[in-house]
Amino acid sequence: MPSKIISNALKSGRTVLTEVESKQLISGAGLPVIETKLAKTKSEAISVSKKMGFPVALKVVSPDIIHKSDSGGVKLGLGNAAQVGRAYTEVMAAAKKANPKAKVHGVSVQKMARPGVEVIMGMSKDDQFGPVLMFGLGGVFVEVLKDVAFRIVPLVRRDASQMIREIKGYPLLEGYRGQEPANITILEDMLLKLSDFIDKTPEIKELDINPILAYSDSAVAVDARVILETQI
Amino acid sequence: MTSTTQSTRNKLDRAFNPRSVAVVGDKQALGYMWLRSLSSFQGKVYSVQIDPSELPGISELGVENYLSLLDIPSPVDYVIAAVPRAVAPAIVADCIKKDVGGVCFFTSGFAETNTEEGIRLQQTITDMAREADLNLIGPNCVGLYNPEIGLRHTAAQAYGEKGSVGFIAQSGTHATLFSIIGERDGIKISKSVSYGNAVVLDSTDFLEYLADDDDTGIIGMYIEGVKDGRRFFDRLRKVASRKPVVIWKGGESEEGARATASHTGVLAESGIVWQTVIRQCGAIKVDSLKEMIDTVKALLYVKPINGTGMGLIAMSGGQSVVIADVFARTGLEIPLLTERSYQRLAAFFNIIGGSYRNPLDISSTFLMADDGASSLTSMLDILNQDPNIDCIVLELFPVIRPLSKDAETADPILDAISDFKERAKPFMIIVTTAHSDALATEMRDKLVERGIPSFSSFERAARTVKRLAEFYKSQRELSQN
Repeated sequence: MPSKIISNALKSGRTVLTEVESKQLISGAGLPVIETKLAKTKSEAISVSKKMGFPVALKVVSPDIIHKSDSGGVKLGLGNAAQVGRAYTEVMAAAKKANPKAKVHGVSVQKMARPGVEVIMGMSKDDQFGPVLMFGLGGVFVEVLKDVAFRIVPLVRRDASQMIREIKGYPLLEGYRGQEPANITILEDMLLKLSDFIDKTPEIKELDINPILAYSDSAVAVDARVILETQI
Repeated sequence: MTSTTQSTRNKLDRAFNPRSVAVVGDKQALGYMWLRSLSSFQGKVYSVQIDPSELPGISELGVENYLSLLDIPSPVDYVIAAVPRAVAPAIVADCIKKDVGGVCFFTSGFAETNTEEGIRLQQTITDMAREADLNLIGPNCVGLYNPEIGLRHTAAQAYGEKGSVGFIAQSGTHATLFSIIGERDGIKISKSVSYGNAVVLDSTDFLEYLADDDDTGIIGMYIEGVKDGRRFFDRLRKVASRKPVVIWKGGESEEGARATASHTGVLAESGIVWQTVIRQCGAIKVDSLKEMIDTVKALLYVKPINGTGMGLIAMSGGQSVVIADVFARTGLEIPLLTERSYQRLAAFFNIIGGSYRNPLDISSTFLMADDGASSLTSMLDILNQDPNIDCIVLELFPVIRPLSKDAETADPILDAISDFKERAKPFMIIVTTAHSDALATEMRDKLVERGIPSFSSFERAARTVKRLAEFYKSQRELSQN
């Protein structure tokens, strides 16, 4: 299955996977991913939303648009069918405006995840040491605070455990001031599964899973981006 | 992923422990630096030089000269080549025919100059050496140092005694300085190598060699880059679980912007990845020669630090405030002592004055009193027995002239300090410079003679404690997994 997503993309000359493809890949690696469906039309988006239950989020699915939220391609917290319909129209218009030549597959419909601590997991390749995993506070924090830790793949349990505790924001994961704490063991398991997946999938060049919402009893990846090597 | 082969290792063993050394191309213009550095060498030294004008100088040094390596009648274990670069391939060919243990090329002017000729010559000697399995060290380096048998880079280096610290440096300057400055600080080398351009043998090969060397208990490394990052990572992880490895990575800002489309890619720049590698493998990262020396010194002379509670003693009220600031700023704790400790301190602080919370403030007059040594011992013992304290730091101030000048006053204090160090928790002395470099140096030397190397500022001591406390913590975590 993973190899099929990758080979299809490469066959059509793409190295950037769509959100839906990226999520399928990491879900196949055993990481918890929020239920996400591709809808190619407005009516499909509405019916998928109804089936999932509101509120939902809509995001444009296009290999040519990488920064979805910057270009107005993301609508969050849609509470009913009418809002979903309107959002669909707006997202499509925004996509066209951002890049008139963009090839648009449709929109992804996903259930809104309840709030939790946002973390990021990612991978990039170092010229000398190969794949390196990253963990840190997610969402916009990763861009502003750069509060992240790294480990060389493959990771052992101790690496996963240490890198989570290494970030300055670790107290936030422990449940700062009565907030729901994050389950650290689940995050460690995810890092180990990701390490294992990266080790077995040399076709992947870079990857961001951001954010992952971490709860006391679970965690779920809400967005993901996978970039492939042009050649292996 | 290649590993050092058994035959490479055996030959490297010959090169590190040679019975005979040949210097090719030493000359007046270099002040015969290589032949002079080998004046201490216990084995046989040969010179190879074809320039007739150099022969009298070589003969004056009492060294036999030959016109070719191949003319030397007995086996040669280690060769130092200081020849013009164009001659390098011919010397490599001779080394292969002579079946030497290893050859170090002091010669520079290869790929590091980024000239066509330099790059071509480097490729030539690399291919020749690889093909013949020759242990080529360098080029552009000062090669091997084995003080026990008097094999040196320069006549300024110590010899005759075997230490326990192995040092691996890309740069000859850092290898030489580490050994010379370290010696003054009680750091003695087992074996050391400067490996320059690393065309055949790289840092990883020497790391493996020193990992298996029984004389080497601690390994220090100065690295600018490695040829095979994965191999280095794998070996370092294994070696660091057996011996402390301290790494100083030079050139951290070498990499410019890279094309990347992910947050992770933007953030994972080279300096951070190196930091990650060092930490993940359980090695210790330092950022300068000073930090390297402080860290190795603490590994040698300070017992494992298993907590961050500091018990500090300074030589005046002003110094107490500053030492507390510095240690706290570094992220260490300066806890209150137990009630029982304060009761015990009260008993004799009434007599001598000063203040006793933590840091304890003692005046220099206190040490110079007749019972100075016993008061100091009592005070140190109270800190040693206090459960809140993990590491004890004593400042000595060079205004106490007797410590350096007058043996009658100094010896009892130095004895008290030596005795205490043996039985105590981790214990460290700082000799601050105060008003006189000369007096401070004198005092530091005196302590080194007693086997108690000191640290030269609050900042350097505090950072060393912090680094070591983190290292021992990670070692404990490693052993639990």
